Order: sequence, then C-alpha cells, then structure tokens
Amino acid sequence: MMSDGIVLETKDLGYSFAPGRFAVRHLSLSLRRGEILGLLGRNGAGKTTTVRLLTTLLPPTEGTAFVLGQDIRTGGRALRSRLGVVLQAESLDFVTVERNLTLYAFMWGVPREEAKTRAEEMIALFELESARHRKPWALSGGERRRFQVARELMHDMEILFLDEPTVGLDAVARRRILRYLRDRARGGLSIVFTTHILHEADLLCDRIAVLHLGRLIALDTAEELKRRHGGAREVSMTLEAAISPDLRVNLRKELVQRRAVLLDPPDGLPSPANQLAFRAERAEELLPWLTQWTQAHGLSVERLSVEEATLEGAFLGMIGDVEENDEGKTAVEPPPADHLPPGRNGAVP
Amino acid sequence: MKLPPVLRLVVRNFTSNLDVITVLIRFGQPAITIVVLGTMFTTIVSSSVTGGTSYTAFLVPGMVAFQMITGGIVSGNLFWLDRRWAMTEQIFSGPFLRSEYLGGLVLTTLLFSLVGVGVMILVGVPFIGLPALSAAGVGMVLATVALGSVFFAGLLIALGTRLRSANAYFSIQSFLQLFVIFLSTVYYPVTSRTPKILAAIFYGNPLTYAANTIRDAFANSFAGADFEALGVLALLAALAFGAAIWGFRNLELGPIQ
Repeated sequence: MMSDGIVLETKDLGYSFAPGRFAVRHLSLSLRRGEILGLLGRNGAGKTTTVRLLTTLLPPTEGTAFVLGQDIRTGGRALRSRLGVVLQAESLDFVTVERNLTLYAFMWGVPREEAKTRAEEMIALFELESARHRKPWALSGGERRRFQVARELMHDMEILFLDEPTVGLDAVARRRILRYLRDRARGGLSIVFTTHILHEADLLCDRIAVLHLGRLIALDTAEELKRRHGGAREVSMTLEAAISPDLRVNLRKELVQRRAVLLDPPDGLPSPANQLAFRAERAEELLPWLTQWTQAHGLSVERLSVEEATLEGAFLGMIGDVEENDEGKTAVEPPPADHLPPGRNGAVP
Repeated sequence: MKLPPVLRLVVRNFTSNLDVITVLIRFGQPAITIVVLGTMFTTIVSSSVTGGTSYTAFLVPGMVAFQMITGGIVSGNLFWLDRRWAMTEQIFSGPFLRSEYLGGLVLTTLLFSLVGVGVMILVGVPFIGLPALSAAGVGMVLATVALGSVFFAGLLIALGTRLRSANAYFSIQSFLQLFVIFLSTVYYPVTSRTPKILAAIFYGNPLTYAANTIRDAFANSFAGADFEALGVLALLAALAFGAAIWGFRNLELGPIQ
C-alpha cells in the first residue's frame, strides 16, 4: 500500500539479465506527486534498466514496485496508459514531424482537434517550426531529441519518465525544456529523469538517486548530496593588511587540525602577503572559525569567499568512494546498509 | 470515438510506413508482370501447357497468390523497421499489448494482400475478362490469400524477432522471396516433363498450393485437393504465427543495427 502523495515506490527491486548478474539490485526509492527525481550514474549503472522496469518494459526478477498504486508486474496497459516515456533510443515514424505528433496522439486516443492544438503548442514550445514539414531523419540530432520529448507530451500522463532527454541539445533549448518540465511538475506531474549532465539535474531535480553498478548509493536532495559528498573546496580570504610569516605558520598548523590545508601560490607567481587560500573538507564549518581567528589576531577581513560546491564534485566523490570500497568486486552485491542515506522526503531507506 | 487499440495500430502502420512509392512498387511490380510477361509469354507458350488457357489467364491467379508474399513482406518489413527505429519499444511503453501490436501487423498484412488481390484481378480484366468466380470461389481465393499472408507474415516477423542486423534480415527476406516465388507454380505449371527433384520442391512450397487453389477457384472447378491445400495452408499459417508469438514473448527490446 502506498502512502499519500507517493506515486511510485520500489522495495528491493532488481533485474538479473543472467544468473547471478544483476543490472539493478536492491533498489528502494519512492517518488511523490509533482516531484522530479533524477537518476544519476555512470554508463551501465542501471538507470535505463530502472526506467524500463518501472515502465513495465522489463519484468523485475526480484523485489516489488508499485507505480500509481499498481504492481508493475501486473499493471500492464492500465498502468502504462497513465505514464509517459521518452526512451533513450531515438524512435520515429517515417512521416513529417507534424504528422508524427498528431499520429502519436491518435495512437494514444487523443481527439483529433485536441491533438492539432497540442501539436501546435509543442511545435512552438520545442522550436520545431522550421522542422514541421520535415521527416525526422532530416532533422539535426538536437531537433530529433526535442521532437521526441514533444511527441511524448502529446498525451496526458501522471508520471513522465525521461531517459537522457537533453542529449545533443544546445544550452538554450535545454534550459527551455527544463523550465517547462519544472512548470509541469508544479502542476502535479511527477517526473523521473536520467541524465549525465549533472548541472541540469542540480537545477531541475527535487531529489537525486545515484546508482552505481546497479545499486543505489545515495538518495537525497542535490544540496544535501553536495554538502555531504562535495569534497574539499577552496576558501579565499583577502585581509586588509599583510599577515606576518609567523602568523602564517600558526594558521597552517591550526588549519590542519580542522581538515584544511593552506595553499601555497603556484610556482613563480608572487604571493601577496594579504591573500590566503585554503582547501577545506568542510568549508562552511571553517568560516566561523576563520572569523574568530582573524579577530583574535587583530586582522580585518576585506573579502572571504567559498568555492561553490557542485553536484559533479559530489557525484565524483560518491562514485570514487564506492569504487574504492568495491575494488576487486566484479558482481553486484547487495549494498551495505550504511551506504544508503537516511530516508528523506518519503524515501525508503 | 476512440478506435480499439488494434485498429489504431493498423491506421498507424498504414500512415507511418506505407508511402505512395512503396505501395506503387508493391502492387506495380506484379501488375507489370501480368501486362508484360503475360502478353509476351502468351505469344510463345502453348495453351496446352497452361491447361488450355492463355498464359496471361494462367499468370493472373498466380499473381493473385503472389499477394500473400507481398502482404507478408509488408508487415515483416514494418516490424523490422519499427524494431530498428525503436518504435516497437516506444509502442510497448504505451497503452498497447504485444498481442495487439502483432494483431495490428497481421491485420495490416491482410488488408494489404486483399487489396492486392483486387488490383491483380483488375489489371488482368483487359486481358482475360472478369474471372467466373462463384461466391465459394471468392471465399476460397480470399481464404487462401489470407492464410498465405499470415504464414509469410508470421515467418518474417518470427525471423525479425531473432535477428539483430538489417543486412541479415533483408538478405534472408530477399532470398526467401526469390526461392518461394521461383520454386512455385506462380509462373509455370508442374508438368510431366518437370525434373522430379524440382517438382518435389515445388510441392513443398505453400505458394504452389495457393496458386493451384486460386487457379481452380478462377476456373470454378474445386476438387478435394483444394480443400486439403487450404488445410495445409491453415496449419502452416498457425505454425508461423505461433513462431511469431513465441518470438514476441522473448523479444529483446532496445536498439539494433
């Protein structure tokens, strides 16, 4: 039974493509109505398999998953009728873009007039006006991808699965689509979104699930992932006056105790005596201490800045940690319980 | 009003993959064969060889039988292209069952081949007049072509579910088409002078039974052998369709070359 507001819930979901070889294993997560969940992972991490399992294209070999209250093993057509799916592989019919859109709507049973109106909206929204009368193979890679997303939005749905929908799109088109998806989510559409562009996952997703070798290794908000896994970041400080060499030595010692390192200027460059740079594991926690330290030594801070944490940094940190722990392992094993973050926002830990 | 899923898929099959040129070629090739080959061979082939009729009158029922291959190829290729361009996966992720998709392909095949039957008869009319088909004869022709179409469609779809290369699929399809057509009685009858090995192969070919049955229907002269032939075709169609269903159940989705 799914809790209120939860539209998708998996428990120990797994898919084995050969005895003992799992593409996905022990996947436990959930999705709320109107939420955008990002699925991140390296190539072969199990993102596409997860999408195909949740859209009933693949039967799970273990675990359970309920989507819109229906078991994915038995939901079949009734379930798929409430989903939208943009698959990773390019799919197209051999008619013009406009005809493709209306034909797809027809297949979904959208009334003709409504289909025409929606096609116009999608052509405008996805900037396909110049491609309207062209056949899909005459489109550029980016146009084809935009067309494919547009086509899926020709019918109504409650959950939209997007498997790398922004591959090959320019920054402007990408922003436009992400903004549109964000608006649709505000309107109650739940979205599962896979991507390798971590910046867009950061912009778009309410929560992010990180998969590695078929296992869920993290599930949290982008902010929390960055905070916990962002790794060392650079802190720059400019003082109003120069710092003495003795004080610099003192600072270096103090920083080591706080898991931070005072950075030396690059070789050959002059080192202004009033400028300092550190690399800190927990940069936010270092800032109050730095303020106290400067005050205690009668120094005035002119400027203090912390390098922004990126999801990419956090992602690389997470994958690096897991790969280090997994070294030598070839098969996917059940994830240790401590690899999973505590449940947040309805997540099943 | 929302059409049933199978019919929506049939409309989609005709709209998306059957362009005017494809349709013209599929129907034009046998039509030209009737006009050119029929006219030319009538002048050189004795009617005693073709059962007392002109060669064109012999050829038209053969070309009608040929429509079961045309229909089979159309849906085999439709399926292959859908698979190649990931539309199979996209359709399966929507409100359709695999059985409906397969049903849509078979219905497309039937419509295409039955329209083909009409076209071939119309093309033959200026040369041989309207065939004296009884109601039972019409039923026999349609049933033969329908069963034959399901047989060839099933065979090619089953093949398409197992292959992952376009080259392999189209090579096998072309070879099969050539083999089935030339080793049948579509273009020539089996006579006492036909080499025994060839005659044996001819009679192992479902198209031979279809062509002979349709010729008998055109001549309004059914025999028990025609009903047996229909029974054999029904059995072969069931086997090929079963193979297609089996292929669908185990169909590996995802991109192919």
